[in-house]
Amino acid sequence: MRLLLVEDNVPLADELISTLGRQGYAVDWLADGRDAIHQGASEPYDLIVLDLGLPGIPGLEVLNKWRADGLSTPVLILTARGSWAERIEGLKAGADDYLTKPFHPEELQLRIQALLRRARGLANQPKLEAAGLHLDEGRQCVSRDGEDIQLTAAEFRLLRYFMLHPEQILSKSHLAEHLYDGENERDSNVIEVHVNHLRRKLGRAVVETRRGQGYRFGGTGG
Amino acid sequence: MRSIQRRLSLGLISVLLIIGLVLAQISLWLFEVGLQRYLESGLRNDSELLLVAIVRGPNGLQLDEHRLSPGYQRPYSGHYFRIDFDGGHWRSRSLWDLELPQPESAGLHADLELAKSKQSLLLLHNEYRKFGQKISITVAQDYTPVQASFVLVQRIGLALGLAALILILILQRVTVRRALRPLDRAREQIFQLQQGQRSQLDDEVPLELEPLVAQINHLLAHTEDSLKRSRNALGNLGHALKTPLAVLMSLAEGQKLEQHPQVRALLRGQLHQIQQRLERELNRARLSGDALPGARFDCDSELPGLFSTLRMIHGEHLELNNRVPPGRVLPWDREDILELLGNLLDNACKWADSSVSLGISLESTGYCLLVDDDGPGIPDDQREEVLGRGNRLDEQVNGHGLGLGIVKDIVESWGGRIRLLDSAMGGLQVRIDLPERTGHSSAD
Repeated sequence: MRLLLVEDNVPLADELISTLGRQGYAVDWLADGRDAIHQGASEPYDLIVLDLGLPGIPGLEVLNKWRADGLSTPVLILTARGSWAERIEGLKAGADDYLTKPFHPEELQLRIQALLRRARGLANQPKLEAAGLHLDEGRQCVSRDGEDIQLTAAEFRLLRYFMLHPEQILSKSHLAEHLYDGENERDSNVIEVHVNHLRRKLGRAVVETRRGQGYRFGGTGG
Repeated sequence: MRSIQRRLSLGLISVLLIIGLVLAQISLWLFEVGLQRYLESGLRNDSELLLVAIVRGPNGLQLDEHRLSPGYQRPYSGHYFRIDFDGGHWRSRSLWDLELPQPESAGLHADLELAKSKQSLLLLHNEYRKFGQKISITVAQDYTPVQASFVLVQRIGLALGLAALILILILQRVTVRRALRPLDRAREQIFQLQQGQRSQLDDEVPLELEPLVAQINHLLAHTEDSLKRSRNALGNLGHALKTPLAVLMSLAEGQKLEQHPQVRALLRGQLHQIQQRLERELNRARLSGDALPGARFDCDSELPGLFSTLRMIHGEHLELNNRVPPGRVLPWDREDILELLGNLLDNACKWADSSVSLGISLESTGYCLLVDDDGPGIPDDQREEVLGRGNRLDEQVNGHGLGLGIVKDIVESWGGRIRLLDSAMGGLQVRIDLPERTGHSSAD
């Protein structure tokens, strides 16, 4: 899952990047609204966390611009202005959720999870379920028939993305784009290695390879 | 304060009455004096004719009957005389059996009564000497018809005066009303201002009212502007404080403090307190209260946004019923109402099982806001506590805590009342009664 964080306060951004990173999200960080307009629309983000009090262009205008340009990525607004009037304004501008500062890091995590699932059309449930697997995003482990299977951070990221996009064909480059932030090198061989690890832990059939197309999770074999 | 209209009418009535009465009375009196003077000359003429009619006869003095005017012959004709001389007296035949009153002094006498006959007499008494004798002649004329016509004139005058007075009053009323119409309009507009039906006074007013209206408009704009500015400043302050607070909270939960659970607990507690306090005070400071008379909240245009926001926050599984009749407008600040309803409905959504409803009705004493949910409700004995102040309670009753605190602040600033009741839907009903806004809002 690749997120864009638009936040002008450096210490808060630092904290959020490290917290979100620990939760297996690839985070790109921008501090200026003008950059955000461009980058939010050009990179394939799964979710955008947008602060409203931005230098350059106010966050609401950035959001308006995105929505006017047809960007449908879910946007979570992060703001210190928590009055209902402002909340309504934010959601009218096209935000998908609204979190007021100060917030509990856990709250942000839960909102991001819920928003990602909602964006995929999945019911709001504590655990992500697909192809007989239950993914506990808090503990970063997967269980099948009540049996816990431990995952590394990289495997967790990959499996989560698969489980959020079940039965879809995902190319290696697509996966690389959504699993790594803009600064890390995207080596499609790394994806291959992690897919193999997942197969070893969860069974060969869980991820199917479509030659020349990519991978498909949770197919008939799962 | 008495109305200008009444004051003008009263002043005008009293001035017109006093001047009218004095003028009428004086002119009547002058007229009567002039008339008496004229009649006096007639009487003097009569008495001189009588004097001429006294002739020396064989038996001393004698009255020549042929020279007397016929008026003295007919009984009670209204013309009388009496002539006194040393040897006796003569009376006119017209006196018949009555006696002419005899004045002491010479000259004109009015208002003497002719006994039994109801005739009021104007009487002239003169002393003459003729043929070496002292002769006193008294002539009188019935004054009653003149007096009667005076009374008639007086009555007609009074009636005319009254009619004139009424006419003047009506005209004055019309004029004053027309002249005061801009004032009335201004008063009406101020009322509309309080009802939230307009935000500025019309500035097309007469010259005299212009400064007043301009000043009121200026004050309105100023109040609105300063409210906006202070809200903005509060927003900035909140932003400046909350962002670092978010950093600290994130830090308190982070891995760096894993080794120091006590420090983490202390940090959490303190940060929580700061957050609660900050939230409450900032929210309270944002309230416009009664400051802005032109404020209005249009339910039709604002509520859908609020409901879709709530739906987004709480998910689609809740049924949110908007039972507000279309066209309802509340005369309070938009942001305050949104804050009030947002918090109430948010609370209800947190506790509801499946549905929440909002109703706003207009009652004789003001507005009544009802928020119902089908959740577990609150037992009777705990309701007071929930509404009570204090941060500790806010923490204890999570959900029904801080939100209701803000709601209470808002309702109190409007002089309203909040009650927790049993809902027909099975859960809690929050009932808020807001008094209608009037001109003299509470001074606090």
